[in-house]
Amino acid sequence: MKKFTALAVAAALSMVGASAAQAQEYPFRDITNAVVWGAGGGTDTINRMVMAEMEKFLPVGISVINQTGGVAGSNGMIYVLNQPDDGYTLAGISESNVTAAVQGGWDKRMNVWFPFIVGGSPLMISVPAGSQYNSLEELVAAAKAAPETIPAAASGSGSIHHLNLLALENGTDAKFRFVPYQGSAPAMEAAVNGEVQLVIGSLAEQFPLIDGGKLKPLAMLSGQEASIGGKTIPDALSEFPSLKQYLPLSQSIGFAVANSASDDVKNVLSEAFTQAMASDTVSKWANDNHYVISGQMGDAASQTFAKLESVFAWTLWDLGAATVDPETLGIPKP
Amino acid sequence: MELIASQMTGFAYSLAQLIIDPITYLYLLPAVALGIIFGALPGLTATLAVTILTGFFGNKFPLEYSLIALIGAYVGAIYGGSYPSILVNIPGTAASAATAMDGYPLTKQGRGGEALGLTTTASFIGTLIGTFCLLVGVGLLLMISQSIASPEKALLALFGILVSGTLMSQDLVIKGWIAGLLGLGMAMVGLDPLLSEPRYTFGWAYLLSGFQVVPVLMGAFAIPQIISGLLEGTLISKVREIGRIIPNWRTIGQRMPTIARSGALGVGIGALPGVGEDVAGWVSYGIGKNLSKEKEKFGKGAIDGLLSSETANNAAIGGALIPLLVLGIPGSPPAAALLGALMINNVIPGPNIDPNLILHIVSILVMASATMFLMGLFTARAFIHVLKIPQSIFLPVVLALTTIGSFSVGGGINDLFLMVVVGIVSFALIEMKYPIAPLVIGVILGGLFDESFRRTLLISDGDLSGFFTRPAAAILLACNVLLILSQLPMVRQLFRRKIPVMAPGTGE
Repeated sequence: MKKFTALAVAAALSMVGASAAQAQEYPFRDITNAVVWGAGGGTDTINRMVMAEMEKFLPVGISVINQTGGVAGSNGMIYVLNQPDDGYTLAGISESNVTAAVQGGWDKRMNVWFPFIVGGSPLMISVPAGSQYNSLEELVAAAKAAPETIPAAASGSGSIHHLNLLALENGTDAKFRFVPYQGSAPAMEAAVNGEVQLVIGSLAEQFPLIDGGKLKPLAMLSGQEASIGGKTIPDALSEFPSLKQYLPLSQSIGFAVANSASDDVKNVLSEAFTQAMASDTVSKWANDNHYVISGQMGDAASQTFAKLESVFAWTLWDLGAATVDPETLGIPKP
Repeated sequence: MELIASQMTGFAYSLAQLIIDPITYLYLLPAVALGIIFGALPGLTATLAVTILTGFFGNKFPLEYSLIALIGAYVGAIYGGSYPSILVNIPGTAASAATAMDGYPLTKQGRGGEALGLTTTASFIGTLIGTFCLLVGVGLLLMISQSIASPEKALLALFGILVSGTLMSQDLVIKGWIAGLLGLGMAMVGLDPLLSEPRYTFGWAYLLSGFQVVPVLMGAFAIPQIISGLLEGTLISKVREIGRIIPNWRTIGQRMPTIARSGALGVGIGALPGVGEDVAGWVSYGIGKNLSKEKEKFGKGAIDGLLSSETANNAAIGGALIPLLVLGIPGSPPAAALLGALMINNVIPGPNIDPNLILHIVSILVMASATMFLMGLFTARAFIHVLKIPQSIFLPVVLALTTIGSFSVGGGINDLFLMVVVGIVSFALIEMKYPIAPLVIGVILGGLFDESFRRTLLISDGDLSGFFTRPAAAILLACNVLLILSQLPMVRQLFRRKIPVMAPGTGE
């Protein structure tokens, strides 16, 4: 009997303890960040780096896991939204997730998230090292002279790289022959072995090949010049001002918490995020890996994602590559 | 020569790193032991060992370490298959079926231990030969990989499916091709690689990402093994007295020509897409018999026969990894499972693969073969006890592991449905004597074929000339055509007398 009493008391005590803990301020236990893309990829790397930094400004740890699969990362996003919106489960996402709805992965829009954008690597256009084209102007002139004959590589139909190619075409009236590849690595490989005559990719992806003399950079599509090994890569938007109505369209890699989470949660995360983004670790990482830091969060970041969502969704729909009409999802036209 | 020298320095550095890292042994020792056990248990294969570990490690462990376990198990399992072949005349894996031909007669003569010692040494040397060829072969292939563009990739993928279908068939070659075509068809499901249009998904969102590699591997390789194992319920009776295991080094020295020849053969066969250790073992045994001065001894306990098959099947491992790492084309069924492991960790094999990863893999192979060698010589008696475990105990364990592995990779419950359906279909196919490896190779290479074939046409605006105007493509096209022609009855009749036929399962 004594034992039972002791047990009951212990149970009661632990329940009191638990409810006391629940009243405690967020966060009182470890946070999980489910990255919706695979381990070792860009989104995964950035999330692991930033979470390690944010831990320093939070009283708890953050563990990063990968929940991949589905359409455009829908598996992981559904998983996170199915968890309580108490701020203990985050989703590691990128701009490529905005097509999940029009591709039939789920029926939500990106406004279910309260996003934090770490940044992205600026996009650029390069040609094989031995190419006859030495500037974007020459390349555009050649494409205008013979429309749809110059093969241009970019990763997958409807990817951020493909959308940049479309923007380039719209802004310069040149027409290329788009050749899709499964990811940037094979696209660059095709440019190196001469299968295609130009490739669009990010500075982070192309840097090793440019540095190794296998690719020749023509122009940046990010609206800013860049320099590699002392050589300046010109900005396409100042060469062709008409590009400005379509570009820049940049990578937006970061993480998000459910928008339905309480303001407390959002404030705590925002504070830790701001402090992490201001740290030397993050700026050094960005510099070493050719990334540009954004630091947007909340409303500003939501707007960025809304714009990406609208451009991506409608472009895919116009290409016939979307399964769900963006109209029915309430996604406005760009 | 310069290439060999630079590869060697890089390799030495990588190997040293691996040796001084204590965590290496944490993965390596259990993996090799597990591999040997899988190999030794009839019904469990090397492919299954690598497949299950692929599912188990998934993307939750660092790739450098999970590769140690995967490759360790691969090497161990190919070797472990020789135990039951030699001791009880039941091949542990198809790869060591030829080993039973001469191994069991030796056991009957009371020389089982000697046979085990010899195959252990032969497997060790074979793996090292394969490893060396991998080191050099990858370097050479990387140099020419610049000229491998879409047309060549399409033809290589097709060649892989065809050659695997041709060599893996037990009776009719056409059955191998049919299995390959089924795999090709499965590869068409999902968002198409060029335009992201859904194909054959029947409105089921799960199928948009196509047939995922891991559930297909599990379904095709594991489920039929388990079903047929439970149906047969092989029980192994007493293992005979085996005698001393440490081999007579002079015998090994005298047989070096056989070992070297079998090793080279093994590497070559391993490097053929989709054709692996089992074919290597049989072909090497057949050639060893043809070349031997004492043909009449083969089948009655010839040392040369034993060494021929065991050296070749282990050498095939290194060979199988060459096309895997440079072209993303698995050279054997277990290598297909390895490719799955690389893919779920976002490593895309190809000309731009990290050279350090290749050196790391080569170092793992060396470590794994050394571990296997020592375990084989000094703890073989312990492993022999494994042969006494009835299948009704270990097969359900394997089924549970398979299910967990398939589920844990991350596709959710749908992956399990897919695994079971693929498994039942595969079982039916195997019952009708269709080889299953070409189907898996078809699933893996079909995507590559589809993508690169259509991309070639996209770039050339529908012009097929790209497939024969480029020199490398023309050679590959010729290989494909010759391979098909060589199997046509009319052509075969013409050459019947000149080409000795050596298909697996037909050897005596």
